[in-house]
Amino acid sequence: MGDATFYDLFRRQGISRRSILKFCGLTAASLGLPPAAAAQIAQALETKPRIPVLWLHGLECTCCSESFIRSGHPLVKDVVLSMISLDYDDTIMAAAGHQAEAIIEEIVETYKGRYIVAVEGNPPLANDGMYCIVGGKPFVERLRYACRDAQAVIAWGSCASNGCVQAARPNPTQATPVHKVITDKPIVKVPGCPPIAEVMTGVISYILTFERLPELDRQGRPMMFYSQRIHDKCYRRAHFDAGQYVEKWDDENARKGFCLYKMGCKGPTTYNACSTVGWNDGISFPIKSGHGCIGCSEEGFWDKGPFYSRLTQVAGFGIEANADTIGRTAATGALAVAAVHGGLSAVKRLRDTRQRDKDEQG
Amino acid sequence: MTITTPNGFTLDPSGKRVVIDPVTRIEGHLRLEVNVDSANVIRNAVSVGTMWRGLEMILKDRDPRDAWAFTQRICGVCTGTHALTSVRAVEAALGIPIPENANTIRNIMQATLYTHDHLVHFYHLHALDWVDVLSALKADPNATSALARSLSSWPLSSPGYFKDLQLRLTRFVESGQLGPFKNGYWGHPAYKLPPEANLMAVAHYLEALTFQKEIVKIHTVFGGKNPHPNWLVGGVPSAINVDSVGAVGAVNMERLDLVSSIIDRAIEFIEQVYIPDLLAVASFYKDWAQWGGGLAGRNLLCYGDFPEKANDYGADNLAFPRGAIIDGNLNEIHQVSLDDPDQIREFVTHSWYKYPDEGKGLHPYDGITEPNFVLGPATEGKKTDIRRIDEGAKYSYLKAPRWRGHAMEVGPLARWVMGYAQGRPDYKEPTDAVLKKLGVPVGALFSTLGRTAARGLECQWSAHKLKGYFNKLMATLKAGDFATANADKWEPASWPRAARGSGFSEAPRGALGHWVQIADGRIANYQCVVPTTWNGSPRDPQGNIGAYEAALLGTPMADPSRPLEILRTIHSFDPCLACSTHIMGPDGQEKAVVRVL
Amino acid sequence: MGYIFDSTSAVDQGADPDGKKENFYADDYAKPVVADEYRSVYVYEAPIRLWHWVNVCAVITLMITGYLIGVPLPSANGEASEWFVMGYIRYAHFAAGYVFAVGILVRFWWGAVGNRFARQVFYLPIWSRRWTSELAYQLRWQTFLERKPLRYLGHNPLAHVAMTALFLYPALFMIATGFAMYSEAAGRDSWQHAIFYWVIDIWGNTIDVHLWHRMGMWTIACFVIVHVYAAVREDIMSGQSVIGVMFNGERLFKRKF
Repeated sequence: MGDATFYDLFRRQGISRRSILKFCGLTAASLGLPPAAAAQIAQALETKPRIPVLWLHGLECTCCSESFIRSGHPLVKDVVLSMISLDYDDTIMAAAGHQAEAIIEEIVETYKGRYIVAVEGNPPLANDGMYCIVGGKPFVERLRYACRDAQAVIAWGSCASNGCVQAARPNPTQATPVHKVITDKPIVKVPGCPPIAEVMTGVISYILTFERLPELDRQGRPMMFYSQRIHDKCYRRAHFDAGQYVEKWDDENARKGFCLYKMGCKGPTTYNACSTVGWNDGISFPIKSGHGCIGCSEEGFWDKGPFYSRLTQVAGFGIEANADTIGRTAATGALAVAAVHGGLSAVKRLRDTRQRDKDEQG
Repeated sequence: MTITTPNGFTLDPSGKRVVIDPVTRIEGHLRLEVNVDSANVIRNAVSVGTMWRGLEMILKDRDPRDAWAFTQRICGVCTGTHALTSVRAVEAALGIPIPENANTIRNIMQATLYTHDHLVHFYHLHALDWVDVLSALKADPNATSALARSLSSWPLSSPGYFKDLQLRLTRFVESGQLGPFKNGYWGHPAYKLPPEANLMAVAHYLEALTFQKEIVKIHTVFGGKNPHPNWLVGGVPSAINVDSVGAVGAVNMERLDLVSSIIDRAIEFIEQVYIPDLLAVASFYKDWAQWGGGLAGRNLLCYGDFPEKANDYGADNLAFPRGAIIDGNLNEIHQVSLDDPDQIREFVTHSWYKYPDEGKGLHPYDGITEPNFVLGPATEGKKTDIRRIDEGAKYSYLKAPRWRGHAMEVGPLARWVMGYAQGRPDYKEPTDAVLKKLGVPVGALFSTLGRTAARGLECQWSAHKLKGYFNKLMATLKAGDFATANADKWEPASWPRAARGSGFSEAPRGALGHWVQIADGRIANYQCVVPTTWNGSPRDPQGNIGAYEAALLGTPMADPSRPLEILRTIHSFDPCLACSTHIMGPDGQEKAVVRVL
Repeated sequence: MGYIFDSTSAVDQGADPDGKKENFYADDYAKPVVADEYRSVYVYEAPIRLWHWVNVCAVITLMITGYLIGVPLPSANGEASEWFVMGYIRYAHFAAGYVFAVGILVRFWWGAVGNRFARQVFYLPIWSRRWTSELAYQLRWQTFLERKPLRYLGHNPLAHVAMTALFLYPALFMIATGFAMYSEAAGRDSWQHAIFYWVIDIWGNTIDVHLWHRMGMWTIACFVIVHVYAAVREDIMSGQSVIGVMFNGERLFKRKF
């Protein structure tokens, strides 16, 4: 029975073919695909067994898992019962200890090249990797082992994609994103702290449906969700262009929903689907709830703060130093030097002229 | 070769060693090692925190207004509680009062977390310790329906509903791909529920999985997203506008109606599904009222939370109780202060950190953390392949926090006992009702079962508090007060050159404190002492064992190779290891140098 | 009449610090006499001068609008559809950016086809001992350690360094980073994306591109200050026209100096 297809499972679970086709249509629509794709999805469900997924946890905070279970379409119970075979996931699995460990070995051996590794968090490389120990061994070892025969790797969230908070300066554990450790497998990065639930399940649906990885941008993120900035699709964009900003927290402008640009919103430099897909069934997203974007899906965003300033603080230039303070200081310095130098030059010229006059007289 | 610890536990590490690593269905990475005697009763327990991230070191020199976002990433499960604690610490340091609405909305955020987190913990992290998923296949759907209807009026209880579910489950199991249920301890003799109860529980496992995502939408309304909603020093970021131009761009009537409807549905789900399930499951596992107590009957600690009025963090203004109980004396509640250097201290004798004088503990304002990963001489294996840890030496990335030298248990049970001991009716009445229903004495609270029951009661309590705070918010708005943030001291120029403050909250897992020192507008030192550090702590220099280790002692195991009993007790604490293992104090390192000289 | 150096010539002619020699080896450019006390050399052709002043306008516009994009004006009130303050500021920035970029392209072209003074700023002859020694001399002159300046047909070595390192290279950097950020809005099918998006990958996070673009702005602002000051000063102090040459192309040299 190991090769039962989704369709078989759906049908045996008492779901009508009509319902299945409806599900496919909704999936296609939610992925922004043309109606014809629904048939392709239905076809896919009818013919494929569930792909085993090993979901590993390194240094992380489990926000990605928490986000994943928030998915409204598809529901996570359907993802787990009918779409993938989530054989290993520390956070929800029944087994523990060596019963849990045995699963990784079994999947790696039995499903060579036919399973997916999903990584939440990242491996620390300092201290021989022993800042994250699983089964008495460094997490990085288990990550390498699990990825050995994987078909593909999904790097969930900013930890796995970019390093995230533990990799922020000074990165005391040498936390390292997955692509710097696993270099011989296709990696789909799904950054965000955490990523949007439906983006996570959408990536899985896409892979299962089209039997290929989604088209990735140059940083390895799926184009379908990460090719535009939050700013480009923000519903407050009109206020940005108009020059209407929240000047201070809870001022009149904040209550009118003006643009949060002056409050340090990182929407203009953040590629994510928040302003289009929205969070938690599209209820809201940070800007809609009055707080600027902190850029959580961007590389190294923790070190681009402060979060409430438009301009990044520049390391090594002291407190509150950003491009403008440094620039203003430099320009003021240049002006001061010019003024002093100009004064000295005037004195010199005066003396030279007097000297010449004297010479001429003499 | 038995050892008696100063806090009154007897350890015997001579028997067979059982290692569980990883402990699953928790947040983060935890390893447990226990010794069992010839009757398979646990006689020694070792709790090993196996991850370290160094977040406080990362926080140094940052803008204190950003600290909430960093500390929030300590944990994505109890998302928001660190952020709340952090903004409180920064506000305390800088003397920033917050508007009444901001306090109410923060309470709503925190109560939402409680409602969500406890529900998810019971069904998705804890239930599989009590519920045999495969046994559900043998259930009679009609009998299941009758059972469900006898317990509550929850509408999803028809025989057809359970039959469909059973069919789906059967096909799932027959596929051979068991997913998260793979290699579970199915058929273990410690599973006691009849098939019908198992089937009902599996149904509710799936229903709760679908429902939990609704609760957090309250976070999404006020904080923009969940996990990791947004917070603000000085208030909350979500401006409120219910009746003037631009209301569509702020928290308006539609948003508030959404919050209100979610609260009603949450109360309904908890009272018609969670609580009846909890009581039904508990009635089959009354023997677990005798195991897993550990420190619970002795030392309990709460900081309190939910300030009813803004800016008053005194114990009388808190809906969650504050206090410490020592040696099981419920008649005396000790005052607790985060700023008193004699109360909270952390030790590292058995932790993978270095102190100049490891015999002494340090208050978090003076905390030092320098990682020092060394293994004891009795370790089996090697540095990168540990097969047996040596608990005589350093053995965990968790420090050992102590309150006036005592190892303490924190969490729902601590809060519930504290409220009970203080005679607060909103704690006493539901507790007595549950005890009566199960027919067990008050002493039964100090157990694995008691901890799990307290969490359920607290979930119900928090859902009703949620409703209360929502009504309070509406009343304030009706009175014409719309303020949500105080920006008077937003600019660093308005801050003192040097300041320090502490912030506290009760995380779902227990007492949580943050200590911040600010100098010249930047964070000079930041320390967190978190619930799982209390509960999962290793031994201290005196040899006192922590709550996890104590709770496991004396538990009989049916089959040590399938450690279901250990999981039950450990899960009853709801461990969060990413929270507990990130301490680092660069400020303190300078002190270390001074001392060495 | 002192010794006049041709700073665009690769041939090391040797300096004449005592300034007694009446050699004027750029005679081929020299018009005999403008007035009794001046000699004049035609140095900068019309396209160079035109470019210079168009560039001045573009840079000023870019700096003002760029500054306001980073630090916006106080908010406007009323409906968003009534206003386009930031929109116009950005529009002006992008328009001036195009003018600036096309100008640099034109300048490159003229560097290829124009006279040798048009080529000078595109390279720094740091390998030339004559050039480095004259650079040192120029530094001494600027720090009042030499009584008389050396005089040049093109840019003196110090000015040359400023033109190339403080203007030309930053200008290229600004064009690359500017168009890279512009490509984010122009979209993935735009030519800007095709040509410039790789710049963003250098940093990974585009907020860094914003940061360095702003640093570039301040670099050019510093250049402008130094450039204007030095032009005025040298015009007065070094016996040659430095400002006028950008209007009529003629470098005037005082005979008596």
